[in-house]
Amino acid sequence: MSVSHHLTDETLQDYSVGSLSVAMETLVACHLTVCQHCRDRATLADQIGGEMFDQFEAAPMAQTPEQLLKQASLLSGSHAPKVTPQPKRSFKDVPRPLAQFLPAELDELDWRRIAPGIKQINLSEQHRRMGAFKLLHLAPGVVLSAHSHNDRELTYVVKGSYQDEIGRFKAGDIADLDGEVAHQPVVDTDEPCIALIASHSPVKYNGLFGKIMQPFVGI
Amino acid sequence: MNTSATTQPKQRNDDAAALRKRMGDNLVAIGERKDEAAFADVYSYYAGRVKSFLMGKGMTEEISEELTQEIMITVWRRAESYDPAKAAASTWLFTIARNRRIDYLRGNSRIEVELDDEMLDVDNTESDSQEKYVDDEQAAVRLNEALEKLPHEQRQVMHLSYFRGQSHGAIAKWLDLPIGTVKSRIRLAMQAVRISLQSDGGNL
Repeated sequence: MSVSHHLTDETLQDYSVGSLSVAMETLVACHLTVCQHCRDRATLADQIGGEMFDQFEAAPMAQTPEQLLKQASLLSGSHAPKVTPQPKRSFKDVPRPLAQFLPAELDELDWRRIAPGIKQINLSEQHRRMGAFKLLHLAPGVVLSAHSHNDRELTYVVKGSYQDEIGRFKAGDIADLDGEVAHQPVVDTDEPCIALIASHSPVKYNGLFGKIMQPFVGI
Repeated sequence: MNTSATTQPKQRNDDAAALRKRMGDNLVAIGERKDEAAFADVYSYYAGRVKSFLMGKGMTEEISEELTQEIMITVWRRAESYDPAKAAASTWLFTIARNRRIDYLRGNSRIEVELDDEMLDVDNTESDSQEKYVDDEQAAVRLNEALEKLPHEQRQVMHLSYFRGQSHGAIAKWLDLPIGTVKSRIRLAMQAVRISLQSDGGNL
């Protein structure tokens, strides 16, 4: 897998700090799985967090380290929480951070048809205002309505490819867009494109058709 | 606890390198032989900082204290998984504290890369393969310098993001700035730090 579209520094920094939603974190972790370049940059953001600890005023602690260790040794007996490792899901073409949200392989999923050539799986039970988290299955030749976003939209290409004003996005690529960017993705090969999408706020469609479509597509 | 502050940059850099080495050695000693003195040193330096990190993020003092205790017990128990060649002690502590906070707030873990994922790819990108970052005692010094050199407005948003604000949007509201401005300040700060840590770039 050769990756050519990466995460922005500000998204990686948000990820490092821990202020992204579950949906956004999943997208970021999917891309990090297949992209050493962004993994290195994510590590750097963590390094900065660590370094900033040193510039911090320490708050007074109620307990001494000795007291804590005594407590820890009491806990480590029968009271220690049992760790039962979850069996790890793995599906073809799916990075593990996404696999945990899926019940089956990509081609066995219960895709819901929402428009000609467009099927989706909604991964979020959240209200739409909280933003979208969904897997889209786009047939060859499908053109999505031109749209933009209020805050941030992440798209991770799981399979296939699409093209828009920004460039060509293939499996493993991530489109990390902020509110100002409007785009109109087109599936540009004979293969369907499967894309994972997370956004903080509902998209704004530019055309009348898009406005009519929005309630159905919901992206 | 050593709290003696100094204003001499050279001295401060020596301190940063020495601190990094000392804390790394401490974690290794805990991991290898449950060294209680080493733990006491890590605790004295970091526990209060972890606690103020959590309080800065909006948690009450009581919960911050409780979570900090848990985090420090995690340090005691999991120190054998710490690899000084991979990360500074401070980075390791930061990630544990951050993850524990996420766990606590939403009841599920932070979504992360799994290193045994069959899809994990190593060095497959089209980007410049020169771009490798150092992470050793020198890195502590360079990072320190790079953060110090940031323009005030960049340092401010970084500080707010790591240790105060919830999100870039919240920081934008707090500072009464457009969110795009906050994001571009974060971006510039990250770039400056990154350049300082590139194996060749920062070494002028």
